[in-house]
Amino acid sequence: MKTAMTAEADSAEMARVFSDLAQRWRRETAAHSDLQKKVLHPAYQRIIGLGPAVVPYVLRELQREPAHWFWALNAITGADPAPAGSTFQEAAEAWLKWGRERGYL
Amino acid sequence: MSAAQIEAIFPDLKAAGYRITSPATPNYNCFAWAGNDSRRWWRPVALHGFYWPEEVPGELNLTNLMGVYKRLGYEPCETAEFEPGVEKLAIYVESDGMPTHAARQLGAGKWTSKLGELEDVEHATLESLASFHGRVALILSRLQQNQ
Repeated sequence: MKTAMTAEADSAEMARVFSDLAQRWRRETAAHSDLQKKVLHPAYQRIIGLGPAVVPYVLRELQREPAHWFWALNAITGADPAPAGSTFQEAAEAWLKWGRERGYL
Repeated sequence: MSAAQIEAIFPDLKAAGYRITSPATPNYNCFAWAGNDSRRWWRPVALHGFYWPEEVPGELNLTNLMGVYKRLGYEPCETAEFEPGVEKLAIYVESDGMPTHAARQLGAGKWTSKLGELEDVEHATLESLASFHGRVALILSRLQQNQ
Protein backbone atom coordinates (compact mmCIF):
# COMPACT_ATOMS: atom_id res chain seq x y z
CA MET A 1 0.00 0.00 0.00
CA LYS A 2 1.29 3.43 -0.86
CA THR A 3 1.96 5.78 2.00
CA ALA A 4 0.60 9.32 1.91
CA MET A 5 4.12 10.61 1.31
CA THR A 6 4.63 8.27 -1.64
CA ALA A 7 1.32 9.29 -3.15
CA GLU A 8 2.25 12.95 -2.74
CA ALA A 9 5.61 12.35 -4.40
CA ASP A 10 3.90 10.51 -7.27
CA SER A 11 1.48 13.40 -7.68
CA ALA A 12 4.30 15.95 -7.72
CA GLU A 13 6.15 13.87 -10.31
CA MET A 14 3.04 13.62 -12.48
CA ALA A 15 2.57 17.39 -12.25
CA ARG A 16 6.17 17.97 -13.31
CA VAL A 17 6.04 15.49 -16.19
CA PHE A 18 2.75 16.86 -17.44
CA SER A 19 3.91 20.47 -17.20
CA ASP A 20 7.10 19.75 -19.15
CA LEU A 21 5.25 17.86 -21.87
CA ALA A 22 2.46 20.44 -22.13
CA GLN A 23 4.93 23.31 -22.43
CA ARG A 24 6.85 21.49 -25.14
CA TRP A 25 3.64 20.66 -27.00
CA ARG A 26 2.43 24.28 -26.90
CA ARG A 27 5.80 25.62 -27.99
CA GLU A 28 6.18 23.24 -30.91
CA THR A 29 2.61 23.09 -32.27
CA ALA A 30 0.99 26.44 -31.48
CA ALA A 31 1.41 27.72 -35.03
CA HIS A 32 -0.20 24.67 -36.65
CA SER A 33 -3.80 24.90 -37.82
CA ASP A 34 -4.10 21.20 -38.54
CA LEU A 35 -5.32 19.29 -35.51
CA GLN A 36 -3.63 16.11 -36.74
CA LYS A 37 -0.21 17.71 -36.44
CA LYS A 38 -1.04 18.79 -32.91
CA VAL A 39 -2.38 15.50 -31.60
CA LEU A 40 0.29 13.35 -33.22
CA HIS A 41 3.06 15.39 -31.63
CA PRO A 42 5.22 13.10 -29.43
CA ALA A 43 4.65 15.19 -26.28
CA TYR A 44 0.87 15.05 -26.76
CA GLN A 45 1.01 11.30 -27.35
CA ARG A 46 3.06 10.88 -24.18
CA ILE A 47 0.45 12.83 -22.22
CA ILE A 48 -2.24 10.48 -23.52
CA GLY A 49 -0.01 7.57 -22.54
CA LEU A 50 0.05 8.76 -18.92
CA GLY A 51 -3.53 7.48 -18.71
CA PRO A 52 -6.39 8.39 -16.36
CA ALA A 53 -4.09 9.81 -13.67
CA VAL A 54 -3.26 12.76 -15.93
CA VAL A 55 -6.89 13.80 -16.50
CA PRO A 56 -7.03 16.31 -13.58
CA TYR A 57 -3.85 17.98 -14.84
CA VAL A 58 -5.17 18.22 -18.39
CA LEU A 59 -8.45 19.70 -17.16
CA ARG A 60 -6.66 22.25 -14.96
CA GLU A 61 -4.51 23.21 -17.95
CA LEU A 62 -7.62 23.55 -20.11
CA GLN A 63 -9.06 25.83 -17.43
CA ARG A 64 -5.86 27.86 -17.00
CA GLU A 65 -4.98 28.38 -20.65
CA PRO A 66 -7.42 26.83 -23.14
CA ALA A 67 -5.91 24.75 -25.92
CA HIS A 68 -6.79 21.64 -27.89
CA TRP A 69 -6.97 19.13 -25.07
CA PHE A 70 -10.32 17.60 -26.13
CA TRP A 71 -8.65 14.92 -28.21
CA ALA A 72 -6.43 13.76 -25.34
CA LEU A 73 -9.29 13.82 -22.84
CA ASN A 74 -11.45 11.79 -25.21
CA ALA A 75 -8.64 9.34 -25.96
CA ILE A 76 -8.06 8.70 -22.25
CA THR A 77 -11.64 8.68 -20.97
CA GLY A 78 -13.80 7.84 -23.99
CA ALA A 79 -16.07 10.76 -23.08
CA ASP A 80 -17.28 13.46 -25.48
CA PRO A 81 -19.36 15.76 -23.28
CA ALA A 82 -19.57 18.75 -25.64
CA PRO A 83 -22.89 19.23 -27.41
CA ALA A 84 -23.05 18.65 -31.16
CA GLY A 85 -22.34 21.86 -33.03
CA SER A 86 -20.51 23.44 -30.10
CA THR A 87 -17.84 26.07 -30.54
CA PHE A 88 -14.38 25.64 -29.01
CA GLN A 89 -15.38 27.71 -25.97
CA GLU A 90 -18.61 25.77 -25.48
CA ALA A 91 -16.72 22.49 -25.76
CA ALA A 92 -14.12 23.65 -23.24
CA GLU A 93 -16.89 24.63 -20.81
CA ALA A 94 -18.57 21.24 -21.30
CA TRP A 95 -15.31 19.41 -20.53
CA LEU A 96 -14.73 21.50 -17.39
CA LYS A 97 -18.28 20.82 -16.22
CA TRP A 98 -17.72 17.13 -16.91
CA GLY A 99 -14.54 17.26 -14.82
CA ARG A 100 -16.17 19.06 -11.91
CA GLU A 101 -19.04 16.56 -11.84
CA ARG A 102 -16.51 13.73 -11.52
CA GLY A 103 -14.36 15.41 -8.89
CA TYR A 104 -11.38 16.07 -11.15
CA LEU A 105 -11.56 19.82 -10.56
CA MET B 1 3.28 35.03 -28.19
CA SER B 2 5.68 37.86 -28.79
CA ALA B 3 6.50 39.25 -32.21
CA ALA B 4 10.01 37.82 -31.83
CA GLN B 5 8.60 34.35 -31.28
CA ILE B 6 6.30 34.67 -34.30
CA GLU B 7 9.22 35.85 -36.40
CA ALA B 8 11.26 32.85 -35.26
CA ILE B 9 8.56 30.51 -36.59
CA PHE B 10 7.91 32.59 -39.72
CA PRO B 11 11.33 34.06 -40.51
CA ASP B 12 10.22 35.81 -43.72
CA LEU B 13 7.39 37.80 -42.18
CA LYS B 14 9.39 40.71 -40.83
CA ALA B 15 11.22 41.53 -44.05
CA ALA B 16 8.03 41.26 -46.12
CA GLY B 17 6.04 43.36 -43.65
CA TYR B 18 3.36 42.30 -41.19
CA ARG B 19 1.48 43.35 -38.09
CA ILE B 20 -0.31 41.43 -35.34
CA THR B 21 -4.04 42.15 -35.39
CA SER B 22 -5.58 40.01 -32.63
CA PRO B 23 -4.80 38.25 -29.37
CA ALA B 24 -3.81 34.58 -29.55
CA THR B 25 -6.76 32.20 -29.23
CA PRO B 26 -7.54 28.53 -29.84
CA ASN B 27 -11.17 29.39 -30.63
CA TYR B 28 -10.71 29.31 -34.41
CA ASN B 29 -8.10 28.35 -36.96
CA CYS B 30 -6.88 29.72 -40.27
CA PHE B 31 -9.45 27.80 -42.33
CA ALA B 32 -12.25 29.34 -40.28
CA TRP B 33 -10.69 32.81 -40.30
CA ALA B 34 -10.36 32.69 -44.09
CA GLY B 35 -14.10 31.93 -44.14
CA ASN B 36 -14.84 34.88 -41.81
CA ASP B 37 -15.61 32.64 -38.83
CA SER B 38 -13.90 33.56 -35.55
CA ARG B 39 -15.90 31.19 -33.31
CA ARG B 40 -15.11 27.70 -34.57
CA TRP B 41 -12.14 25.49 -35.43
CA TRP B 42 -12.75 24.08 -38.92
CA ARG B 43 -11.56 20.49 -39.17
CA PRO B 44 -13.34 17.20 -39.80
CA VAL B 45 -13.04 15.40 -36.47
CA ALA B 46 -15.22 12.69 -34.94
CA LEU B 47 -15.40 14.71 -31.76
CA HIS B 48 -17.59 17.63 -30.75
CA GLY B 49 -16.13 21.13 -30.56
CA PHE B 50 -15.06 21.30 -34.20
CA TYR B 51 -16.83 22.42 -37.36
CA TRP B 52 -17.02 20.82 -40.77
CA PRO B 53 -20.05 21.05 -43.09
CA GLU B 54 -22.04 17.82 -43.21
CA GLU B 55 -22.31 18.13 -46.98
CA VAL B 56 -18.53 17.89 -47.44
CA PRO B 57 -16.74 14.52 -47.04
CA GLY B 58 -15.12 14.27 -43.62
CA GLU B 59 -11.50 14.11 -44.63
CA LEU B 60 -9.14 17.07 -44.80
CA ASN B 61 -7.68 17.35 -48.28
CA LEU B 62 -7.49 20.06 -50.91
CA THR B 63 -10.61 18.90 -52.78
CA ASN B 64 -12.75 18.80 -49.66
CA LEU B 65 -11.42 22.10 -48.32
CA MET B 66 -12.27 23.67 -51.67
CA GLY B 67 -15.73 22.15 -51.25
CA VAL B 68 -16.11 23.93 -47.92
CA TYR B 69 -15.30 27.30 -49.49
CA LYS B 70 -17.44 26.59 -52.56
CA ARG B 71 -20.39 26.50 -50.19
CA LEU B 72 -19.51 30.14 -49.41
CA GLY B 73 -19.48 31.05 -53.09
CA TYR B 74 -15.77 30.73 -53.82
CA GLU B 75 -14.46 29.21 -57.05
CA PRO B 76 -10.91 28.55 -58.23
CA CYS B 77 -9.27 31.47 -59.99
CA GLU B 78 -6.05 32.08 -61.84
CA THR B 79 -4.28 34.79 -59.94
CA ALA B 80 -3.71 36.10 -56.43
CA GLU B 81 -3.45 39.65 -57.78
CA PHE B 82 -5.82 42.06 -56.08
CA GLU B 83 -8.96 42.86 -58.08
CA PRO B 84 -11.40 45.47 -56.72
CA GLY B 85 -14.77 43.93 -55.88
CA VAL B 86 -13.36 40.39 -55.66
CA GLU B 87 -12.53 38.48 -52.46
CA LYS B 88 -9.72 35.96 -52.68
CA LEU B 89 -8.36 33.13 -50.56
CA ALA B 90 -5.01 31.37 -50.87
CA ILE B 91 -4.69 27.73 -49.80
CA TYR B 92 -1.28 26.41 -48.82
CA VAL B 93 -0.27 22.76 -48.98
CA GLU B 94 2.76 20.82 -47.84
CA SER B 95 4.73 18.48 -50.10
CA ASP B 96 2.19 15.66 -49.85
CA GLY B 97 -0.62 17.98 -50.93
CA MET B 98 -2.23 18.19 -47.49
CA PRO B 99 -3.71 21.65 -46.78
CA THR B 100 -1.82 23.47 -44.06
CA HIS B 101 -3.09 27.03 -44.16
CA ALA B 102 -5.52 29.50 -45.69
CA ALA B 103 -5.08 33.26 -46.02
CA ARG B 104 -7.71 35.86 -46.97
CA GLN B 105 -6.95 38.88 -49.12
CA LEU B 106 -7.75 42.28 -47.64
CA GLY B 107 -6.44 44.50 -50.39
CA ALA B 108 -3.47 45.11 -52.65
CA GLY B 109 -0.46 43.60 -50.92
CA LYS B 110 -2.46 42.82 -47.82
CA TRP B 111 -3.52 39.39 -46.57
CA THR B 112 -4.86 38.24 -43.22
CA SER B 113 -3.96 34.92 -41.60
CA LYS B 114 -4.68 33.19 -38.32
CA LEU B 115 -1.49 31.48 -37.18
CA GLY B 116 -2.68 28.22 -35.65
CA GLU B 117 -3.60 28.91 -32.01
CA LEU B 118 -1.57 32.12 -32.11
CA GLU B 119 -2.54 35.61 -33.24
CA ASP B 120 -4.03 36.89 -36.48
CA VAL B 121 -1.60 38.81 -38.65
CA GLU B 122 -1.85 41.06 -41.65
CA HIS B 123 0.98 40.24 -44.02
CA ALA B 124 2.13 41.81 -47.25
CA THR B 125 2.95 38.68 -49.21
CA LEU B 126 1.79 35.08 -49.43
CA GLU B 127 5.41 33.95 -49.70
CA SER B 128 6.20 35.19 -46.20
CA LEU B 129 4.40 32.19 -44.65
CA ALA B 130 5.66 29.60 -47.13
CA SER B 131 8.71 28.44 -45.19
CA PHE B 132 6.39 27.12 -42.50
CA HIS B 133 3.15 26.35 -44.36
CA GLY B 134 4.41 25.19 -47.76
CA ARG B 135 3.43 26.42 -51.21
CA VAL B 136 0.23 28.13 -52.30
CA ALA B 137 -1.58 25.48 -54.33
CA LEU B 138 -4.94 27.12 -54.90
CA ILE B 139 -6.44 30.58 -55.20
CA LEU B 140 -10.18 30.94 -54.74
CA SER B 141 -12.32 33.98 -55.42
CA ARG B 142 -15.86 35.27 -55.17
CA LEU B 143 -17.55 38.58 -55.79
CA GLN B 144 -17.34 40.86 -52.76
CA GLN B 145 -20.11 40.17 -50.25
CA ASN B 146 -21.97 42.89 -48.43
CA GLN B 147 -21.33 42.30 -44.73
